[in-house]
Amino acid sequence: MTTPVECPSCKAPLAEPLLNQPELVPCPSCRGLIHADVFPAIHRELATGSSGEALVIETEAGCFYHPQKKAVTPCDGCGRFLCALCDCELHGEHFCPTCLETGRKKGKIKRLEQERTLYDSIALALAVYPLLIFYFTVVTAPISLILAIRFWNAPRSIVHRTKIRFVVAIILSSLQLIGWGVGIYFLTTHWKSHG
Amino acid sequence: MAEREYRRLTGSKNRSLFSVAFSARTSLWLGKDHILQIDTSGYSEIYKRFYFRDVQALVFCRTDRWLYQGVGLLGAACFFALIAVTGGGPVVAGIFGTVAGVFGFFLLFHLLLGPSCKCYLRTAVQIEPLISMSRSRRALKVLQTLRPLILAAQETARPGPGPTPEAPPVISTPPPPTSSLPPEASDEPTNQPA
Repeated sequence: MTTPVECPSCKAPLAEPLLNQPELVPCPSCRGLIHADVFPAIHRELATGSSGEALVIETEAGCFYHPQKKAVTPCDGCGRFLCALCDCELHGEHFCPTCLETGRKKGKIKRLEQERTLYDSIALALAVYPLLIFYFTVVTAPISLILAIRFWNAPRSIVHRTKIRFVVAIILSSLQLIGWGVGIYFLTTHWKSHG
Repeated sequence: MAEREYRRLTGSKNRSLFSVAFSARTSLWLGKDHILQIDTSGYSEIYKRFYFRDVQALVFCRTDRWLYQGVGLLGAACFFALIAVTGGGPVVAGIFGTVAGVFGFFLLFHLLLGPSCKCYLRTAVQIEPLISMSRSRRALKVLQTLRPLILAAQETARPGPGPTPEAPPVISTPPPPTSSLPPEASDEPTNQPA
């Protein structure tokens, strides 16, 4: 049975004539103007899982994880034979649970990637924000420089992003370090000449 | 030049009023076969993918928030304009006139963006609010872009994804002369449990 589509504002179920209308229509409950596009997937039943079929003939290949069950497909990651229970289908590709977990953790399966750290933004923030209180830059400038160099080839945002943040961070933190170096040099020479 | 994998659908929008302090923002992007929602804190990004073939409904409802915000901006602009006019000296008039002008500019920009809305996307397993689709004009445009893509994906995905559990294909191997291991596995001993 299909769960009815609800109004985002009052959560009232929307009747069939209100769906897929070209114009905004008033919600029968809250009178707010709504637009609802409903797609054929709403009528699709969720695929039920399978526990796998038991091996009957010896010549049939068994599952790597459940040797007593029939293999239905090889894993696209490691090539191991999988039964219907172990077969995890991901947009046409078949993976075993181990490959799926490894792929998710190591970012090998891009579709499963859920999070990225933006090292370029961190390096840039460390190079820019401490300028407000300049004394902090003696610590933050080297950290920013190290981060920018260490993670130069690390994946940045999943959407298109250049290395400009890294470049600016390197330039700014280098200038700060040079400034500190020059400052310390002049202070020591000035102190020696007056000492 | 390499083609970009994602195309922007909506601009970045704060997740909530308080998230301004932590710059938590969300935006919507169009991929080849999915919609990508990016939640960013400025230093990390969290991704949510909604595949076209899984989208059941896209619904939005116009809200009154833009009216309240417009009235607030208009009130602020009028307040500072009044101070500028009645304040006296040209310096006061200049300063408060500029502030009133800034609020006036924001009000104009706000009105140009059009009415606000609340939107959600529904799949078989979740109902996800699309925070970044906060203006109904933009939301309609995005829906017009997405509708043919989703319909096309769901046409090709019929009758349904995944293996049919009733009759799964069975890998049968020819009887090996000495071992029951499949030929692929014979040179890879790790293919059988210890």
